[in-house]
Amino acid sequence: MTQPAANCPNCGAKIVFRWSSSVQTVCEYCKSILVRTDVDLKKVGQVADLPPDGSPIQLNTEGLYRGKSFVVVGRIVYEYDQGAWNEWHAMMNDGTSAWLSDAQQEYAVSFPSKGPHLPASTNIDVGQQFTWDGQRYTVSVITPAHYRGVEGELPFQYWDKTDVTFIDLRSETGKFATLDYSDPEPALYLGEFVEFEQLKLKNLRSFEGW
Amino acid sequence: MSAGTPPLSAPPPKPQVRALNCPKCGAGITLRAFGQAETVVCESCRCILDAKDPNLAILQQFEIKTSDVQPLIPLGTRGKLRGTDYEVIGFERRHSTLEGITYPWHEYVLFNPYKGFRYLSEYNGHWNDISICKELPMVGGGMLSGTSASPNYLGEVYAHFQTSDANTDFVLGEFPWQVRVGERAVVTDYVHPPRVLSSEKMDKEVTWSVGEYMYGREIWDTFKLPGSAPEAEGVYENQPSPVTTNVKGIWAIFILFAILLAGLMMGFDFTARKEQVFEQTYHWERATALGESSFVTDVFELKGGPSTVQVKSWAPVSNEWLYLNYALINQDTGRAWDFGREISYYSGYDSDGSWSEGSRNDTVVIPSVPSGHYYLRIEPEVDPAVRAISYSVQLTRDVPVFGIYGIAVVALLLPPLLISFRWYTFERSRWSESDHPPMQISGLNVNSEDDD
Amino acid sequence: MFRKFYLLFGLLTLGTVAFGQYRGWSLDTIDQVKNVPKSVRDNPGSYRSVYSSYHHYTGGK
Repeated sequence: MTQPAANCPNCGAKIVFRWSSSVQTVCEYCKSILVRTDVDLKKVGQVADLPPDGSPIQLNTEGLYRGKSFVVVGRIVYEYDQGAWNEWHAMMNDGTSAWLSDAQQEYAVSFPSKGPHLPASTNIDVGQQFTWDGQRYTVSVITPAHYRGVEGELPFQYWDKTDVTFIDLRSETGKFATLDYSDPEPALYLGEFVEFEQLKLKNLRSFEGW
Repeated sequence: MSAGTPPLSAPPPKPQVRALNCPKCGAGITLRAFGQAETVVCESCRCILDAKDPNLAILQQFEIKTSDVQPLIPLGTRGKLRGTDYEVIGFERRHSTLEGITYPWHEYVLFNPYKGFRYLSEYNGHWNDISICKELPMVGGGMLSGTSASPNYLGEVYAHFQTSDANTDFVLGEFPWQVRVGERAVVTDYVHPPRVLSSEKMDKEVTWSVGEYMYGREIWDTFKLPGSAPEAEGVYENQPSPVTTNVKGIWAIFILFAILLAGLMMGFDFTARKEQVFEQTYHWERATALGESSFVTDVFELKGGPSTVQVKSWAPVSNEWLYLNYALINQDTGRAWDFGREISYYSGYDSDGSWSEGSRNDTVVIPSVPSGHYYLRIEPEVDPAVRAISYSVQLTRDVPVFGIYGIAVVALLLPPLLISFRWYTFERSRWSESDHPPMQISGLNVNSEDDD
Repeated sequence: MFRKFYLLFGLLTLGTVAFGQYRGWSLDTIDQVKNVPKSVRDNPGSYRSVYSSYHHYTGGK
């Protein structure tokens, strides 16, 4: 896996992409949001300080999901009326991209999925059912949220979103799905809830007194 | 590394327990949940503050200090539940009202920065270890809850126990939700001892949680609390039954034993010799009876291994009695069995009609008589009112004794009866607190008709 | 646990019943007397043949 090096266009610090297909990263030093073009890095925005949060996961946390190891390389922080949650971008050892969501220590791993024609968010109600990949999902909650910040490497460009709608669906077998309406085209993520122990996480944050 | 690179900014600070001051009364506030709590209660003035707000905005305050309730597990105590350490960070008292009576209980909020939140509930000394359900229970065709629903969660079917309200009347510490004193939820409990499935509906949101029963002493051990846990009163909805054996299974074993016993009975009845070895009728007359009226019979043979000898005596008494002193004597060994039998029969009429007492027949079974040659010595004693009477004596060798089977059945019945009784009284106690109490007079039915 | 005990208990009960039926047990209590004298002569104070003669040497030297 190549690790192309470059310099931050804003402050000149060395930037390393751990994942060859990363599209965006955040400069650790000046918090500039940098997007990778064919030639160089372009600054597209700035990240304000992320809110203090209690997630035990941090960049470079390592873990195991279904036999494949992964490293946490990036994060998107969302806020909604009842608080915030993290979507950690995990780089699987086979190069694929996964998302580890952490909402008040409820963990879930999901992967981007191609669903059939996905409906607009206004057409969906709580309790409605969909079937993807042979599994039935029921809409459990519709959350208007807004982007709060980013960190590390992401597989797409993502910053300064205003309100976005997330529709969460659950199945009766511990699987879950999310419809992400950040972009005009809704994105579907399919995954499952996982227990903290299952992930065998290493290099976690340490908490005072724990 | 090119020159002029600014030094790497410090890594994110290690999350710390934060100490702040209450904006209302100035008392110290400690936040232990590393930014995960939504609300925190001031220990001093008991007002509820926004834990996510650096200024701790006041969310709810009280003019009069609410009554003091002391949590049994002090805030800040840590204990290991299911292999993970948790710290008690919050406490609340809630109550439900049923027919004018208030039933209070307590809930504790437990926190681990890696595992999140867990809860403990305590009611009358009964404890439960509760966590929010990750998977939704399967309830009929949808996610509705009702008294007739039997949700299925992780392969277990739960029975509806109770639907009631839950009103929060006292709070302390930190909470991961927007708690307010006075908030009200509708709680439905479904049980599958030792677990309980609860659905809590507050405003429009339904939360499912699953709890597992814990004994007071387990809590005291887990949190290393001083003294001993308060006694548990009554039987709690999901308290595990002391009867862990399968009661139906025990009755099935009883049926098996009963069949075997019947088999034994039929077998021994079939193989018993039932040989009549002696039969004689005697006539007794007062006139001819000598001073000592005992006499001996002819010798007869008893065959086979040691077995029973049945002695049947018969006399046509009518409002009189006859007493026969018997001795069965082995001619060779001199071993004797000595016994006396009374034959009496009385009858008459009185205000209630005719009555009778006694019998003209008497049967006695001599146990374990070895084979050999025997004779009987008989000495009759006769009711002074009788002048003459005849009586007959019949001996049968090797008859089965049915009374022993009766005793065996009773003995075999005792354990299943005892265990059924124990199970029944416990379950009755359990369900008497529910929305489906057992009827006052009932057979073995535990639940009555549902009362709504 | 209880199941095992009950099985054992039941088998013992059945075994005892079978044994009792085989050995002729009954529910009635009968006194047993040993050594009923066979005849009138068979009594503690009756004549003994040894009383009939001396049992030491009575002859001459």
